[in-house]
Amino acid sequence: MFSKRYSIFITVLFCAFLGVFALAQVILPDRTFSENENRNLQQMPTLELGTPELPGRPGTGNFFSGKFMSDFETYLTDQFPLRDGWITLKAATELALGKRENNGVYFGSEDTLFAKFTISNPTLAQENLTHVNTLADNLDVPVYFSLIPGKEVVWADRLPANAPNDDGMAFIQQAQESTSSAIWFDTASPLLSHSDEYVFYRTDHHWTSLGAYYGYAALMEAMGMEPVPLEEYDRTTVSDSFLGTTYSSSGAGWITPDSMDTYVPDEGISVITYPEGAPVEGSLYDYSKLEVKDKYSMFLGGNTPLAVISTQQTDAPKVLVIRDSYSDSLAPFLTAHFSEIHLFDTRYNRMPISSYVEANGIDMVVVLFSTSNFVAEQSIFQIAMGA
Amino acid sequence: MVFSSPLFLFCYLPVVLILYYISPLKLRNFVLLVVNLIFYGWGEPLYIVLMVFTITLDYFAGLVVEHYKRKGNDLGARWAVAVALVLNLAILFFFKYWDLVASTLQHVGINMPALGLSLPIGISFYTFQTMTYPVDVYRGDAGVQKNLVSFSTFVTLFPQLIAGPIIKYKELADQMDQRDHTVERFASGVSVFVVGLAKKVLLANNLGQLWEVYLDTPVAQLTTAGAWLGVVAFSLQLYFDFSGYSDMAVGLGRMLGFEFLRNFDYPYISRSVTEFWRRWHISLGSWFREYVYIPLGGNRVSKGRLCFNLMVVWGLTGLWHGASWNFLIWGLYFGILLIAEKLFLKKWIDRWPRLLQHLYTLFLVVVSWAIFAVEDFTQLGGYLRAMFGMAQGGLVDSNAVYYLTSFLPILVIAAVAATPLAVKVWRGGEVRSFRVLRVALPVLLLVGLIFSTAYLVDASYNPFLYFRF
Repeated sequence: MFSKRYSIFITVLFCAFLGVFALAQVILPDRTFSENENRNLQQMPTLELGTPELPGRPGTGNFFSGKFMSDFETYLTDQFPLRDGWITLKAATELALGKRENNGVYFGSEDTLFAKFTISNPTLAQENLTHVNTLADNLDVPVYFSLIPGKEVVWADRLPANAPNDDGMAFIQQAQESTSSAIWFDTASPLLSHSDEYVFYRTDHHWTSLGAYYGYAALMEAMGMEPVPLEEYDRTTVSDSFLGTTYSSSGAGWITPDSMDTYVPDEGISVITYPEGAPVEGSLYDYSKLEVKDKYSMFLGGNTPLAVISTQQTDAPKVLVIRDSYSDSLAPFLTAHFSEIHLFDTRYNRMPISSYVEANGIDMVVVLFSTSNFVAEQSIFQIAMGA
Repeated sequence: MVFSSPLFLFCYLPVVLILYYISPLKLRNFVLLVVNLIFYGWGEPLYIVLMVFTITLDYFAGLVVEHYKRKGNDLGARWAVAVALVLNLAILFFFKYWDLVASTLQHVGINMPALGLSLPIGISFYTFQTMTYPVDVYRGDAGVQKNLVSFSTFVTLFPQLIAGPIIKYKELADQMDQRDHTVERFASGVSVFVVGLAKKVLLANNLGQLWEVYLDTPVAQLTTAGAWLGVVAFSLQLYFDFSGYSDMAVGLGRMLGFEFLRNFDYPYISRSVTEFWRRWHISLGSWFREYVYIPLGGNRVSKGRLCFNLMVVWGLTGLWHGASWNFLIWGLYFGILLIAEKLFLKKWIDRWPRLLQHLYTLFLVVVSWAIFAVEDFTQLGGYLRAMFGMAQGGLVDSNAVYYLTSFLPILVIAAVAATPLAVKVWRGGEVRSFRVLRVALPVLLLVGLIFSTAYLVDASYNPFLYFRF
């Protein structure tokens, strides 16, 4: 079928392709961490032969259980030469083939990436709504509650046509209707009416500081306070190279990065965080995080079970925010109105809310979550627990 | 280990090819045996013991059958064949069907404990390949293999060990002891292998994503358009997955000097169900014809007996595909269709316009894949009702529009690739401009390798969404 010379050519071509990458795998140094995926990469496993599992006796080692083999396969793919380049090539191919999504991320217009929104556990979502009311029933101080709409709601016009998502707005309306003891405040309407502005990061699921400002203004209105007008802030662009988690999932290496702004100066504000239980001096903005991949953690230095922000308005009330990471960028705006802002993360903090409120003289409580976190969060039940 | 993995492509295969070709001819079967066992044991090292048992069983069965035959003891030879068959089938039953029987009996109140054993990889394929060896020795179709290494290498031959084609010993007997290692054969193996790899990685896996969307859609939300879209995607996925794997097997075989028979011959261009089964998984069809259908009397029997024979063959064919009752129904569905075609339908169909013959075949085959793919009977009922206009989600919804537009290019490429059109253009072109094709082939091979690698590396892409919060 082929001539001999041509066959040699084809054979060499194939063997060279396999050989080059096989050799490169051996020669290139192993990486320990992937910035893009934000995880430790698998290292070369060591073989421990051990014994197989037999009835009545568990096996030992990593050979008979197959763990050595699966670790080795993960090792090869994790350390594959030019890994990030292959992933971008695949994402680009999908797009070229007419796909409007890759790895669960929609490619929207204007370089906007959307994580798919699904309510995978409707029962949990309903129960979480009940817990908020129970919390309000248990406390003597007012409880304000809102769910932040997702990017796919606010920027729906940028989504690919007909892109399947569960209806986040319908759930927010349901949340509003079921809110009886707590006081609902509406973050969706202001975000929707400013949807032509830069209210979400294009490459991340979080809202921008501007988006957070509109959320803050809605909260102030509900509390009967006057929000600081947007014009009175000096906007500072602190980064123009933010590539968020949605970007990481998408593999879309060609997307232009987001820029990050701050509005509120951090002078005269002290922050104490409790990352491991013991108090640690923190700050409103941790600029060192702008050097790493996870740049959003610049706000308050990232996840912590509890953060307490103290301002110079010592006469002002104290607020407790039960929250997800969206409140990290909202908190700076609150410093103008409160003496203390307590940020409470139910995932890492098991303290009963009612005793915390009492012990710290909290005047009002805010429950603020993004819709996608709220419908899936397993730890919210704790807020309904009595002291 | 699977072919479509970085482990196989960039670690196992290069090492195997180097070891194989630096070894002297006499040692090559032994080298192959060693790498075959590594390939097989990679996922479940313990099941190598089972493999060794099966090999030993059939190797000695062959010797015993030959011994009795030489002595003129036909009864002894028959007994040896029977014992070997029973043991082989017992192993297959124990590992594959025990839990199905147990759970079914539990439904009627008989307490048979389920074992929950993991299925030894490729057991359905290699059992079928080896258990017929003593039969062929008895029938005189195959000579006895006295060399244990050669026999073991045949049973464990990695290119076709875990997903076929089902190769009978007699087809490979000569090649086990002598085969040509030419660069021409190697190069043609490369092109067949890369085509198979691309079929599996670029088409089948992609179409699989679309099918999964509809497999996971609750029946209450299924639309008629969605249900058809899903099952069409599955029909194409299954073809490219399976035939891609067979192509890779044929290609790898050639790289090692073997020549296997083709397993698929563009099944979706068939104009009757009978023709479809001559083109789909050819090695399985021929196995059942040779070792079940013809021994039962074939078609030289009364009409009633013929129907019985066909239903037995197709019931078994169905169950061979998996230990679940939907596979039995799927097999019997084809049994009924083939009986109908044999008795009267085929004569009538042959007078239809060609387009109608194609539509008739595709329709019945696509419906069969729904039965094949949905194991849960309640869900299967809902899925079939949705396909036939009784969808709880209505005729069509925006999701179906989205997935159809999103996957349309892939579906079109796959549909064209399921026909011999590209090969016709290629062969036609060979005459017109040989030079273009000489350049095109290596370019296409490289493109296939590069894009397949990108999809394989991406499959392991696993960002840890730390701040999901």
